[in-house]
Amino acid sequence: MMLTVAIAKGRLQQDALELFARAGVRVSEESLASRRLAVEDERGRYRFIFVKPADVPVYVEHGIADCGVVGRDVLLETGSDVLQPLDLKIGCCRIAVAAKRETNGERRGVLHVATKYPRVAAEHFGSRGVPVEIIELSGSVELAPVLGLADCIVDLVETGRTLAENGLVVVETITESTGRFVVNRASYQLKAAAVVELIEALGRAVGEGRGGLGVGKEGTS
Amino acid sequence: MEPLSNIPGGMRYYFGREARLRRAVEDAVMCVFDGWGYEEIATPSVDFYALFERGMGRDEARRSFRFTDADGRLLALRPDVTSSVARAAATLFAAAPRPLRFCYAASVFRQRPRSHAEWRRQERQLGCELIGAGGSDADIEVLTVAAEVLERLGLGGSYRVTLNHVGVFNGVAEQLSLDAASREQMRQHVDARDSAALEQFLSRLGKSSPTAARAGRLVRLAGGRGIPGEARELLTGELSRAALDELERLWSVVESLGLGEVFTVDLSDVSGLDYYTGLVFKIYVEGAGARVGSGGRYDELTANFGRREPAVGFVLGLDALTEVLARGGDFDSKNGAHADASTVEAADTSERFREARRRRARGERIRMEK
Repeated sequence: MMLTVAIAKGRLQQDALELFARAGVRVSEESLASRRLAVEDERGRYRFIFVKPADVPVYVEHGIADCGVVGRDVLLETGSDVLQPLDLKIGCCRIAVAAKRETNGERRGVLHVATKYPRVAAEHFGSRGVPVEIIELSGSVELAPVLGLADCIVDLVETGRTLAENGLVVVETITESTGRFVVNRASYQLKAAAVVELIEALGRAVGEGRGGLGVGKEGTS
Repeated sequence: MEPLSNIPGGMRYYFGREARLRRAVEDAVMCVFDGWGYEEIATPSVDFYALFERGMGRDEARRSFRFTDADGRLLALRPDVTSSVARAAATLFAAAPRPLRFCYAASVFRQRPRSHAEWRRQERQLGCELIGAGGSDADIEVLTVAAEVLERLGLGGSYRVTLNHVGVFNGVAEQLSLDAASREQMRQHVDARDSAALEQFLSRLGKSSPTAARAGRLVRLAGGRGIPGEARELLTGELSRAALDELERLWSVVESLGLGEVFTVDLSDVSGLDYYTGLVFKIYVEGAGARVGSGGRYDELTANFGRREPAVGFVLGLDALTEVLARGGDFDSKNGAHADASTVEAADTSERFREARRRRARGERIRMEK
């Protein structure tokens, strides 16, 4: 039974494919070099599709893809109804509130927050009763406080370099995010054997990767 | 103003082959219900919101379309049928001998979807409820009815029913003495099969006790015959143990009915815990990305209407089933197409309609030429 796996393009793609390779699922260089958006692994057991991160949960929820690899940040933002049996411990980063160094996110009547994560931001500030106006942007969020569009931003922070270069500092970490292996609810039941086999293989690969490199601490997520 | 050509999101038309197939599926399912002695019941499309809030729990009921009547009372377009059937059982049918068997085909309306894959705001539910009968016999009865329905639709080899008992999870929560908020958090982790988050959650609770460690393995327990036994090794709470015993008894009957291949036990299926009190099950069909049906035992629901009694039932989503069946197969080819129509031609109007009536009396399918 062939499983379709949706992989988030970009940040996680390379790490995810390396993890699959360690789990014994390899995609040929040739297939990857081609510009096709759907490729099969060398043994013809898995079909990989490469889609925008926010689309991974959509494909998986509809069962068009049986499973997928996507960041926890995307799952939180889209509020997806998918199973998340495995933390792949790749693409470690955090969703954080950042503001200009001098203001440090100081309060006015309403806090203007620029973000690609409107839902996460609204929930975060809402849970502490801070009135906010969410300004949804689709990129270069760091610019917003610099140019005065917003008081602070809620964004994904990996190294913090982009923030620093724009004179921003992290005020608060909302949550950690790593790449997750997600599974469609129906596929989990109807293709149980194949799905469990893949989860176990990936689980072993995640364990080996951490042991081999001597990195990764317990409980990062 | 919206252009009049627009249709509200989540609403749609049905016509042609799809509409015929829908009707055929509905008839086939209702026919199975009837065959097991379930009486059709039609419930009000509009009812007091409080009914659904009590019946489904606040989170589910809040997804409904709500509005007020002239006196300011809050009404809802029915988001489910079971609440209303339970009220009828406790009131209209208070004096009727038990058990009661009801079935229905009814549209339900929801303003907000549960997931991206459930975009419909109007959905037709086919369901049955067995009220006033407790014990595993009643549970087995509705499971058997569900199996027959799916077989009748030609889905014999391609469906799966997952079984669980809410007592398994509730027992763990009780043993860990969780408050309502932590309980809900733990439920979400188990429901998402997120073992990493579950382990962290349990260790944060400071319950690094053996109970917590064992509870962490709950999410991995799914399969057939051995599962209740395996779980009994992990879960020591009385409530969990009793639930596992019940599941095991149920499973042995399921197996003896030759359904061991299509049924599985999945102890991580923990959605709808506020509503159900015993057996819970979900129905999946190949080709549908989300579940097509669900059900379980809800012994507390009728107490809301002044009469506590055992009850068990399930619903199937007609839209999801039809979508799968429309992709081909026996059921579609038998029911999707219909017989050719013969045209009635005659120059004189009276003559034409006399001929039409003659052919109609013979049961022919006709089409008037003009």
